[in-house]
Amino acid sequence: MKNRAFASSKRLVAFVGAGLAMILSGALAPVSAAPSISPTLISVSAGLPSAGATRAVALESVSMTSEPFSLSAETNFSPNDPRTRITLFAINLDLLAGETRNSLTADAEDAAHVHYPLKVEYVSTVPSFDGVYMVVMRLNDLMPSNLGDVLIRLNLHGMSSNRVRVAIGQIGGGPADDPGAVGTPAPQTPPAAATALTVAQFQAQYSNAAFASDQDLRRFLEQASWGGKGDDSDFNHVRSIGIPAYINEQFNTPPQFVDAASDPLFPLSSDYPFSAPYPQFFPGAPAVCDANCLRDFYSLYPLQKQFMLNALTQPDQLRQRVSFAFHKFIVAGGQQLNNNQPFWYAPYLQTIDRNSFGNFRNMLFEITLNPGMGEYLNMRGNSVVSRANPTPNENYAREIMQLFSIGTDLLNQDGTPVLDAQGNRVPTYDQTNISNLARVFTGWDLGLNKTSAIDPNATVANYQDPMIPNGNANRYDIAAKTLLTDINHPSPVVVPACGSACTTGTSPSQLAADQAYAITSLNTAIDNLFNHPNAGPYVCTQLIHQLVTSNPAPAYVGRCAAAFANNGSGVRGDIKAVITAILLDPEARGDVKTDPNYGHLREPVLLMTHLLRAFNAVTDGVLVTSITPGSFSTPLGQNVFNPPTVFSYFPADYGLPGTSLVGPEFGILDTSTTYARTNFMNTLFVQNSGAGILASPANNRPTGTQISFASYQALVAGSGGPQALVDALNAKLMHGTMSAAMNASIVAAVTAVPVSATQALQRTQTAIYLVATSAQYQVER
Amino acid sequence: MNESRRKFLRTSACGLTSAAMLASMDRLNLVNAMVQPDVAADYRALVCIFLSGGTDGNNMVIPFDDYNNPVGGTTNGYDNVRGVPGGPPGLAVLKTQLLQITPSNTSGVSYGFHPNLSPEAHNAGQAKGFMDIWNAGKLAVLCNVGSLVQPITRANYAAGIGHPYQLFSHSDQVNQQQSSIANTTGQTGWGGRIADKTNGLNGAVVLPMNISLAGTSLFSSGVNSRQLAIAAAPTSLANVLNLSWSGPTPPGNPFTAGSSFRTLLGFDQGTTLIKGSTDTTSSALSADAALNLAGNPSIGPFPNTSLGNQLAQIAKLIKIKDTFPVPMKRQIFFCSVGGFDTHTNETGSDPTNPGSGGAQSGTQGGLLTQVSQAMRAFYDEMVAQSLSNNVTTFTISDFSRTLQPSGSGASTVGTDHAWGTHAFIMGGAVLGGAFYGSQRPDHSGLLYGFPTLQLGGPDDTTSNRGQWIPTTSIDQYAATLASWYGLAGPDVATVFPSLSKFATSNLGFLTP
Repeated sequence: MKNRAFASSKRLVAFVGAGLAMILSGALAPVSAAPSISPTLISVSAGLPSAGATRAVALESVSMTSEPFSLSAETNFSPNDPRTRITLFAINLDLLAGETRNSLTADAEDAAHVHYPLKVEYVSTVPSFDGVYMVVMRLNDLMPSNLGDVLIRLNLHGMSSNRVRVAIGQIGGGPADDPGAVGTPAPQTPPAAATALTVAQFQAQYSNAAFASDQDLRRFLEQASWGGKGDDSDFNHVRSIGIPAYINEQFNTPPQFVDAASDPLFPLSSDYPFSAPYPQFFPGAPAVCDANCLRDFYSLYPLQKQFMLNALTQPDQLRQRVSFAFHKFIVAGGQQLNNNQPFWYAPYLQTIDRNSFGNFRNMLFEITLNPGMGEYLNMRGNSVVSRANPTPNENYAREIMQLFSIGTDLLNQDGTPVLDAQGNRVPTYDQTNISNLARVFTGWDLGLNKTSAIDPNATVANYQDPMIPNGNANRYDIAAKTLLTDINHPSPVVVPACGSACTTGTSPSQLAADQAYAITSLNTAIDNLFNHPNAGPYVCTQLIHQLVTSNPAPAYVGRCAAAFANNGSGVRGDIKAVITAILLDPEARGDVKTDPNYGHLREPVLLMTHLLRAFNAVTDGVLVTSITPGSFSTPLGQNVFNPPTVFSYFPADYGLPGTSLVGPEFGILDTSTTYARTNFMNTLFVQNSGAGILASPANNRPTGTQISFASYQALVAGSGGPQALVDALNAKLMHGTMSAAMNASIVAAVTAVPVSATQALQRTQTAIYLVATSAQYQVER
Repeated sequence: MNESRRKFLRTSACGLTSAAMLASMDRLNLVNAMVQPDVAADYRALVCIFLSGGTDGNNMVIPFDDYNNPVGGTTNGYDNVRGVPGGPPGLAVLKTQLLQITPSNTSGVSYGFHPNLSPEAHNAGQAKGFMDIWNAGKLAVLCNVGSLVQPITRANYAAGIGHPYQLFSHSDQVNQQQSSIANTTGQTGWGGRIADKTNGLNGAVVLPMNISLAGTSLFSSGVNSRQLAIAAAPTSLANVLNLSWSGPTPPGNPFTAGSSFRTLLGFDQGTTLIKGSTDTTSSALSADAALNLAGNPSIGPFPNTSLGNQLAQIAKLIKIKDTFPVPMKRQIFFCSVGGFDTHTNETGSDPTNPGSGGAQSGTQGGLLTQVSQAMRAFYDEMVAQSLSNNVTTFTISDFSRTLQPSGSGASTVGTDHAWGTHAFIMGGAVLGGAFYGSQRPDHSGLLYGFPTLQLGGPDDTTSNRGQWIPTTSIDQYAATLASWYGLAGPDVATVFPSLSKFATSNLGFLTP
């Protein structure tokens, strides 16, 4: 379909070029290659007020007729798809070299404020008018035929154009003009062709530390850390060395856990507290484990606390963000690990930490053999029922494909679903594939028990080392398995049967053959998933959602997937290259993003860490005020390390109600949790006269949480008054994106707080509270 | 419904009524509520209990007379597939543990409920389950219901015909159960879409028609209708939505009318995600004001379990329905209980020992105890409120589980994802004590659609592991409930766009 539209559009280019000189008039608009440039859709001032202030310069793409446009074109080069395509014209379209239609998104809003996404099917410069672009959009199938006027917007790299008025079916009856809308005629003298940057050139600009604006750098820290620090030490650092050097420095910051050899108890890291004398193997353990003992040794409380402390104080910020992002789509939950055993769970976290800047292939392999994951999704102990009738447990086989690596739908490299001839999505795998893969995952179990370093006579189950092929030969499935196709295998990969070495008996040599076969088979299967063409776009989509924006343009996913496919040195799956591509993409960078669909809702963890860091929190990492041990963000709807299911804290593809957009974090935003978020701001900033959360050992809060906003109090008490306070909060928390109306409203509210001895405190609290509870802040853009 | 008295509220979407368009309309949320009915005279409520994770229907309702033999007559029966006493540990519920039932419409053939559906039967002193409600004819079983694009047979399935989108995937099947859209990913739920069409039955009420006790749910989200999500009991209704403010008052109090806090909710509405967030906060503020006036009504005892507390809160909400300025006439509630994804530990380790293990322990056993006791308490409370005929409670789940166990070590047997399951419908309006469902599309098998428990048999998929191809669709199930609730005939077809593919749009388990 799109090829035909493409062809038809090209055929008409010459006509369009000729016609344009008559339509276009006005002053030359500047074209620049700097970030944050907004596209301009060309329009003219309308003659009649009833028809709106402006009207787009728009043509039906085949007949070159003008509006109103019917939904179906009488003449169409796509007999199976009669939907009308319209051509609009744009300048200031800051495309990268080679960027095409999938970098652009567009939508139309009708009088009832219904938004219709419009698929951009073609974009090119107009011949002889190199700085002017024609953009062909397919009308939406759901538009009523007599819709009337709509306002159309074009987005590129998170920047939206002006909106222009186009008539569908009939002229008039559309939404009101945007404030200040004026005609945007094309320049009398067509702009020259912009010099398009390559992706590498775009990224290289940031090697000059002075290139990025302050706003851009603050946005960057929101994406690449748990939030900029209140003392600006991290901001000043990235300002001095530039983003690429900063990313590289972060790549080289080791995970905070210590080396295996130096851990006194187990060959383990202690990023998460491991060496605690868990009573299970601690000779002096209390005979009756009281509430505090349960909290400290048999719950996730120590891990959750450590997570928050790491987020607030440790320097490996980017690794922590990326690790948490991986954790959210390669999920194990503590509840199913012997009811929140921290020493069953911590190695899972460490496995993710260790691999977050490694290769995705190794991430998949190590997580598959992680005993905590084995417990969670039943690969540990997985076995054939009998060799004649294997039916092993399918849990891990299904979820490693659906959630950890390739997803359910075949994807193009830009993350959009592959569609069949009928326009339906194509499943990546079926039940037979799952049954086959499940048979690969048989025979694995825990490694040998560990000896407690505290009590040499005590042994503990080994949830630290990778699982090993078990000594029971009867568990293995030794028949052939058919897997999937991948980039190296146009036909499905087959794991051959083990053959006669394994087939009969249980002699030591046959067991050894089974075990060797299991290892080989597992590697084949992991390679198959890793090399599946979906892996790059799938992983990139997940990471972009979590670090930058919920609705990336396909081209953004595509640039990331290209880095996944090849890090520049021919290596596939290099996560460092993927992260660099995500953070140094034109859709991620820039001062301010105006695309209304841009950004993502801060999930509870991110909301809390950003504020705690911004106000120099000193904390025990507990934060919750209830007696029940739990994660700091549980009241806000996110129980860290205990997501309800393997589908994580919120669905990765959650649709924002009333829109056609994805908004994963909205999956846990409801009428209750929105209040909980708001009340957290009261707890942190307002109650106890701003003293934060008080220490209360009896309530599991050893020191409580204290924040500091003294510098803001000084601002409001100074000559700048409330305006200076609000402006400072805008710069620090919202990288300057607060709307003028919001700014004015908060200034008025702050000013209304009566002058008294405590006015500076109360005014500051009021301002912070209003900013922090606002949707404008809570949606990170 | 008197057509002439219906109010024409919107006409802009009049052109969009073809069935083909409706399925896709769901995705883009076009306003399609053209007409709204008048305010209802009576009260009706639907209560959805979502059994999250995919409940094993095979161990909820079990053949009793045919315990050893499937209806097909081979020896490959329930007990053989699921493990037998004295044999290797398995999943079979012992026949002696079954709560025998003889539905009114099975020609005298007996079945058995899982023992924990009435825990008191085997363990005196336990809170009661719902056996008495069945015996009183107020609880029905819907057999082998699931997500279907169209009626299909095993041969159709093998030929690739009529497969719902992403069968056996949790996320997709949850979506299909809650959206009643089987061929793609629905973006609205059928509870929400019913509300879109029936909000007029309530008039200008203060609470949304849909209330979830389990966080935000797809089920409760319509094209235009949004849900209220509040905490379960024991949080009192006056406290489910409470904003705290410890700062100066007034004018610093941020929640009074005209406050900056409220004003900010009106800004930047053109920015999609910001609007999504402010919409949620705004609806919370509205409900907050209403619920703060409601008080904390007293109700009868409920079990202190996840589902018990959710249903207790629903009972309280129902009790205050007439205390609002405009009484609630129609309500749709959603609650959810998780843990049914029993890949392991579905039953206790020793199925031969009813006292210490077997079906009565294990993950599913514990959950069924919770479900039956909570449903029983809720039913009793509705009787106490004289509303049992006005409130219908029903279960749905991701899917059922394979009849054949999966291998995972000797002591932790579980099952994998399957398809059609059984559902319970409870209430005074339910024509209970009977089995409901449809015959296979080739008109073989039982009239009420109970599957032949035979691996590779006529109800199985090609996995031959006992993944029953549903004989009744979630669309039919939901439409039957929706019709009772008051969704007008023409709207039923709109809300359930695939319904016309199936022989009957009303399964008949509710009084009209």
